[in-house]
Amino acid sequence: MIDWAAFLIVAVVSLVSAGLVVSLYAFGLRLLTTAGRPPVVEPLEFTGAITVLTPKRAAKEAKRARKAAKANPLSPAQKRLALIAGYACFVVCGVAVLFGVYLIIPALHG
Amino acid sequence: MDFTLIVVLVIVLALIFDFTNGFHDTANAMATPIATGAMRPKVAVTVAAILNLVGAFLSTEVARTVSSGIIREGQDGIQITPAFIFAGLIGAIVWNLITWLLGLPSSSSHALFGGLIGAAIVGIGIHSVDFNEVVNKVILPAIIAPLIAGLVAYAATKLAYAITRRELGKPDGRGGFRYAQIFSSSLVALSHGTNDAQKTMGVITLTLIAAGLQPAGSGPELWVVVACALAIAIGTYTGGWRIISTLGKGLTEVKPAQGFAAETSTAAAILASSHLGFALSTTQVASGSVIGSGLGRRGSKVRWRTAGRIALGWVLTLPAAAIMGAITAAIAQFGIVGVVIDAVAGALVIAGIFLWSRRKSKPVTVGINEIDGAGRVVKIRKTPRKPPRKDRKKVAL
Repeated sequence: MIDWAAFLIVAVVSLVSAGLVVSLYAFGLRLLTTAGRPPVVEPLEFTGAITVLTPKRAAKEAKRARKAAKANPLSPAQKRLALIAGYACFVVCGVAVLFGVYLIIPALHG
Repeated sequence: MDFTLIVVLVIVLALIFDFTNGFHDTANAMATPIATGAMRPKVAVTVAAILNLVGAFLSTEVARTVSSGIIREGQDGIQITPAFIFAGLIGAIVWNLITWLLGLPSSSSHALFGGLIGAAIVGIGIHSVDFNEVVNKVILPAIIAPLIAGLVAYAATKLAYAITRRELGKPDGRGGFRYAQIFSSSLVALSHGTNDAQKTMGVITLTLIAAGLQPAGSGPELWVVVACALAIAIGTYTGGWRIISTLGKGLTEVKPAQGFAAETSTAAAILASSHLGFALSTTQVASGSVIGSGLGRRGSKVRWRTAGRIALGWVLTLPAAAIMGAITAAIAQFGIVGVVIDAVAGALVIAGIFLWSRRKSKPVTVGINEIDGAGRVVKIRKTPRKPPRKDRKKVAL
C-alpha cells in the first residue's frame, strides 16, 4: 500500500512554504524599488562564471536608480511607508523560515 | 569470523562514503550562490560545512527508514550480516566511481540503496528486502520529489518575476535576490545534512543491529550521529576546492531571482520529505528545482536530449548498483576469504579508476556537477537589451 497522503503533504507543504517565502521576499524588493531605493548589488569578487558588471556599467545602473527615484510620483511619507513595509516583508520572510526550521526539529517541541 | 573487525570495517567504509557524499555535494548547495556572486567561494564552503554538520542533528527519520525499513533485520525477521552490508557498500562506492568516471549523472543515495539491496538479495534471499518499504520510501519519492520540487520552483520563479516586474527600463531591484540566496543556499546545505548524513547513520545502525550490538528497530546512537555529521561536514569543506577550481569553466546562466526560487523549493521539498522519512536523493530534487525554475523564466525551452540523458542516469543507478552489490555479496559468501577478496578487489578498482581518470587528462563531466548539468536541460532565449522602439512600453522579461 502506498501512502499517497504523505506525498500530498510534501507537495502542499513545499508549495505553500516556498511560495510564501519567495513572494514575501519579492514583495520586499518591490516595495524597496517603489520607495525609490532599488538595491544595486554589485557582484562580489571572483564571479568568473557570470557576466560581471564593469564599474562603468555599475555606475550607470546606480545613476539610473537615482534618476528613477527622482521621478518617483510618491510623496516622501508614502515612500517611507513603502520602505517600512518592504523591510517588514523581509522580517516576516525571515520569521517564516525560522518557523519552518523550528517545525522540523522534534527536539524543540516534544 | 572476527565479528568486531568486520563491524569496524563497515563503519569506516560507511564514514568514507559519507565523506565523499559531502565532498561531491558541496556544489549542489553552493554552486548557484557562488555563480551569481551572492557569496564568496570560501565563505560559501565554510557555511555549507557548518550547516551540514548542524543539519545532521536535526532528525533521525531517514536513518530509521534505512536501518529498520528497507532491509528486514533482527530476530523476528531475516538476519543480514555485517559482511553483506560491507559488500553492498563496496558495490555502491564502485558504481559511484564508475559514473563519475563516465560523467554519467547519478545519485550516491540510490547507489547506496542499490548496493545494499543487491547484497541482501544475493546474500540472504529476496525475502530479506521489504519491497513495500523500498517502493514507498525510496522509489516513489525518487520520482515524485523532483517533480514536486520542479513544479514548486516553476511556480516560485513565476511569482518572483511577476511580483518584481516593472516597466522596461525602470530598475526592478532583482539584484536584491542575491542577498536572499545567501539564506536559501544555506537552507539547502542544512537540508542536505538532514537527509544525506542520515543515510550513513542508517547503514551504521543497520550494521550494529545486524551484529547484535543494538536492539532491532532502535534509532541511531549519539556517537553514530556525531561521527556521520563530522564526516559529511569535513567532506563538504574539502570538496570546496573543486568548485573553486572548476568555476572558470562556466556555469549555466542562473539569475539571482531564479536561483533563489529554485533553492527555496529544493530546501522546502527536502526538509518536508526528511520529516516524513523519505530517503531521497538531494541531487535529484535540486536538479528538478533548477529545471523547473528555468522553465519559469520567459522564453525557455526544454532540451529533451539532455533531459533524457539525465533521466537515464537516474533510472540506471539503483539496478546497476544492485548488480554491483550482488556481485560483491556473492564473493562475500565465501566467509572471511570472500570479504578479503571484496576489500582487495574494491581497493584495486578504486585505485584503477583514480589512475585512469588522471591518465585521461580530464574526466568527461556533464557540468561542474549534476545540478549544473540539469540546468542545461532548459534553454533560455536571451532577451535583447534594446528592443525595438514600438515594444519599449511592453513589460520586460
